[in-house]
Amino acid sequence: MTTTANSTGRAPEAGRSEPVLSVGDLTITFPASRGGRGGSQDGGLNVLDALSLDVHDGEFVAVLGPSGCGKSTLLRALGGLLDPRAQVEGTIAVPSDASGRRATAWMPQRDGLLPWRRAMANAMVGAIAAGVPRDRAYPRAQQLFEEFGLAGFERAWPHELSGGMRQRLALLRTCLAERPVLLLDEPFGGLDPVTRRRMNAWLATVHLTEQAAAADAVARDASTTGSGVVLVTHDIDEAMTLADRIVVLSDRPGRLLYEARARQGGEERYDRGSLLSALDC
Amino acid sequence: MIGATHRTQRVPGSRLRAALIGTATVAVLVAAWEAAVRIGNLPPFVLPRPSQVVATAVEQAPLLGPHVATTATEAVLGLAMGTMLGWLLAVLTSAFPTSGQISHPVVLLSQTIPTVVLAPLMILWAGYGLTPKVTLVALTVFFPVLVAATAAIRDVDAEYSDTVAGLGGGKAHQMWLVRLPASVPGALAGLRIAATYAVGAAVVSEYLAGESGIGVFIQRSRKAYAVDQIFVGIALIAILSALMVAAIVALRRVATPWQTNLVST
Repeated sequence: MTTTANSTGRAPEAGRSEPVLSVGDLTITFPASRGGRGGSQDGGLNVLDALSLDVHDGEFVAVLGPSGCGKSTLLRALGGLLDPRAQVEGTIAVPSDASGRRATAWMPQRDGLLPWRRAMANAMVGAIAAGVPRDRAYPRAQQLFEEFGLAGFERAWPHELSGGMRQRLALLRTCLAERPVLLLDEPFGGLDPVTRRRMNAWLATVHLTEQAAAADAVARDASTTGSGVVLVTHDIDEAMTLADRIVVLSDRPGRLLYEARARQGGEERYDRGSLLSALDC
Repeated sequence: MIGATHRTQRVPGSRLRAALIGTATVAVLVAAWEAAVRIGNLPPFVLPRPSQVVATAVEQAPLLGPHVATTATEAVLGLAMGTMLGWLLAVLTSAFPTSGQISHPVVLLSQTIPTVVLAPLMILWAGYGLTPKVTLVALTVFFPVLVAATAAIRDVDAEYSDTVAGLGGGKAHQMWLVRLPASVPGALAGLRIAATYAVGAAVVSEYLAGESGIGVFIQRSRKAYAVDQIFVGIALIAILSALMVAAIVALRRVATPWQTNLVST
């Protein structure tokens, strides 16, 4: 059932370097809730089914799929946030930092901004949680506030910011963690379509993979292991605008249905028709 | 959002209107009281007229200061102690669920005993001074603060803790960045409820023993059949309780500036 649409044959990165992040035959099942809800078979809810996915250095991968196909579960598994009751089979390989901690930064669908911290303090949560020293994180935060169009709002409370600003701030916080792998769970899912389009256009100019790589280089004293971004979304335009590669998952349990790599130099980066038909089956 | 906050619709002048209606209601009730005593020709040792209570209050004013100061000190110290303890236990039990399982039955059991009932024991153990009264107020305040702070932490935990964990934060980060600040509005909401009980608890313990305090003043007045003085005492308790609540509402504004929708009642 897995098909690979690729104009240039094999991916240039594949085989040449070790993947930054690798998932092999990943099957995740949640034990049945005692109430015995519908949709569960064999006493459990099978969310992902034998999914394999590699992310190579510098790659921005979008995972596209219908609601409930296990996209968010995949991202939580990559970020080490899986419910401990979940049964996991297969392999998950993510980079770790010098102190052995998981070198991923996860951004939730709802921004997760702490209501009791002002904008700058919320951004710094990324640095604090990841153990980035303040004297390095703070100047970078100031610079990113400028780049992310948030300058002047450093002392605003989260509730004073618009939906789009909140998401940008959440993304800024994620960047400040200086992790080489960014995991974005529907970062613009809660926004209205107009704001969402603007955010996507803006995000395409930010070059998150380069941000992550640069930050990681600083964090590791230039001995970087490579960087990557995994974006989970159900918005086909979002995926087409941002990603170097799109992976389409099936309905639950999520299996790999289709994979497409962005064309270089062409007008249309992806063949929308085949993406849509992959989503429809 | 968090704790006992809810949105209010801001209609211009509605607060003034509410205040006027409230004042008018109280004025009508006091006037009815005055009229009833005059028409019914009730003796002052049964029910004094409000005007007489005011006259007594003015007359006794120099004497009242130390009594009020004593009761206020007991209430404030007890509030501070009870709040700190309730808040600390709420944070502790969220960090270490086992400590919650240990303390839960004890806390529940202690709530089957009205704290006021413990006043004689407190006095036996801690003497006639400030200590038994402060302890009693603290016990009274402890539970509502614990419950409200625990609820606030529980309601806020998952989303924010995940965010911090997803950025590489450990348990200590989740505690420091999420649980601790999340518990503050809850603890303050519990404190706001507890404040109305605090003065009452202090006064009841003064009924039993003590040299000074509004409770002592009321007991002395009772022995002298000075009903008007008892009413002065009751009015002082009401004013003191209201001041406590107002101070805590102000404290909430300062301590939780991100909450813009606090109801100021």
